[in-house]
Amino acid sequence: MTAAVVLEAVRVRAGARVLLDVPQLAIAAGERVAIVGPNGAGKSTLLRLLGAQLAAEAGRVQVLGRELGPGAAAPLGAAARRALRRDTGLLMQGLHLVPRLSARENVLIGALARLQGAQAWRSWLRWYPPALVAEADAALATLGLAGRAAQRADRLSGGERQKVALARVQLQRPRLLLADEPTSALDPAATQAVCQALAAIAAEPGRTLVSVVHDPALLPLLATRVLGMAEGRVCWDLPVAELSPARLQALYTRPAGEPEAPPRPVAAWPAATRGPTLEPR
Amino acid sequence: MTTGVPHAAAAAATPGLPWPRGRAGFAALVLLYAGLVLLCLGTLVAAGDLNIGRNPWENLLKTLGEFARPSVLDVWFGPERLEYRSDDGTVLRVENRREVEAGFLAAVARATWVTFQIATLGSLLAALLALPLALLVARNLRAPRPLAWAAKGVLDVSRAVHTLVFGLILVGIVGLGPTAGVLAIALHSMGTYGKLFAESIESLDMAAVDAVRATGASEPQVFFHGVWPAVLPQFVGHHLYVWEFNIRDSTILGLIGAGGLGLLISEAVSLFQWSRLATLLIVVVALVMVFDAVSRRIREALQ
Repeated sequence: MTAAVVLEAVRVRAGARVLLDVPQLAIAAGERVAIVGPNGAGKSTLLRLLGAQLAAEAGRVQVLGRELGPGAAAPLGAAARRALRRDTGLLMQGLHLVPRLSARENVLIGALARLQGAQAWRSWLRWYPPALVAEADAALATLGLAGRAAQRADRLSGGERQKVALARVQLQRPRLLLADEPTSALDPAATQAVCQALAAIAAEPGRTLVSVVHDPALLPLLATRVLGMAEGRVCWDLPVAELSPARLQALYTRPAGEPEAPPRPVAAWPAATRGPTLEPR
Repeated sequence: MTTGVPHAAAAAATPGLPWPRGRAGFAALVLLYAGLVLLCLGTLVAAGDLNIGRNPWENLLKTLGEFARPSVLDVWFGPERLEYRSDDGTVLRVENRREVEAGFLAAVARATWVTFQIATLGSLLAALLALPLALLVARNLRAPRPLAWAAKGVLDVSRAVHTLVFGLILVGIVGLGPTAGVLAIALHSMGTYGKLFAESIESLDMAAVDAVRATGASEPQVFFHGVWPAVLPQFVGHHLYVWEFNIRDSTILGLIGAGGLGLLISEAVSLFQWSRLATLLIVVVALVMVFDAVSRRIREALQ
């Protein structure tokens, strides 16, 4: 199986602070990987590095067969960069909908790069092929937004916007899907719906999903493999079945500056609020 | 999470004049301003140029009296037979004031239409010229630096030179008439439009634009999906505002022979026909008020 992502000796820094330090990481095409870890662990940095939104300071970064890192022979040309963007679906906090366009038009934005020739020209006037519009409406209907297709994006609720962004990624048909806390603005019911939709999109053959997740209950749905990160390093890399609550707890309670510290006992906590567990809520 | 770009200590010491910070700095600024105002006033008084004429009160009353009876009333209430006689009583000329005034009103209507034409065509031309320049000037669209500087230079020059000055130059080039007016309005307003358009683009939510770009859309697609829909209502608002401004401006352009109401205004002023000037001002005010009401409706509908 070909590799979707290959990182070798990658380092990202902000000033003197090391945000990311990954000696070796490979993600095969079709894999579903979740990243867990406390705030500031470098999860989002890793995701942004893979999304080509951030440049590594050192090392080799290969995404979908293209070299991005400083080790690359030549920087990517405009066309190659566009092709990479088209193949990489981003579902991130900062990537907003266009407020004055309708939900349907926002979803159709995902398919812009798929349009060719005269259809691409017509898209300048927001004139899309009927088949594509039908696809967008179907994607919205799957997420329970059938009645909201004509609504302007700035009149949607936070959860509805997140669903529209998900439908946009669905129409993009990316080979690599990067989701940074895709359910952060959602209530429990919507969280389930969005995660199932995300898993369904990622289930297409050859599609790779890398997500940052805080809720352990969602891990089995979104991932087959889990990376535990802290202090910019990958602490462990396990199949989701081998993950134990204790290990997750250790990751989140690790004191700063002690990357190799053993798991600390947390027996003093009341049972009801004790750290993350793998049981569904 | 921050990016890898280290921010230099930009917020630290800013070199330049030693200027006190905070409240003291503002007080110093106010004192400086007060000094400037006193300097202007003092030099004007010292030169003896600050006076209000020999008999301002009489002049004011006379002018107000004529203004209070706009010539337009003559169409209905004027004398139908106005005789002009020489000193020995010979009738020199007989005039029907109602007919004369009706003829004047027709001329006013034609001139108003010309003024409106100048403002409308000039504004549209200015907006079309300014749009590409604004795209170059807006910093967040990251046009090549030399092009951005050139565009900014053009817009600054165009904004700095008054419509009347452009008009005077253009009357010499393309001759008297509305064409010079249209071009003068266009050249000056281009600067205003460019600045307003560029500011709307710079206040854009770039995260949405980046999101469109992240799907792999081409640059024109990014522009028409991310930028254009977001700035369009502001562009329309700016256009209506500058258009209205230009309706006022083009009433003056006639003074220099560039056509429109200004010609009639300058005639009325030269002949001390204050009652006719009153008629003309009524027309100008009505024109601007109607336009303002219509444009407010449109702007509200576009929110």
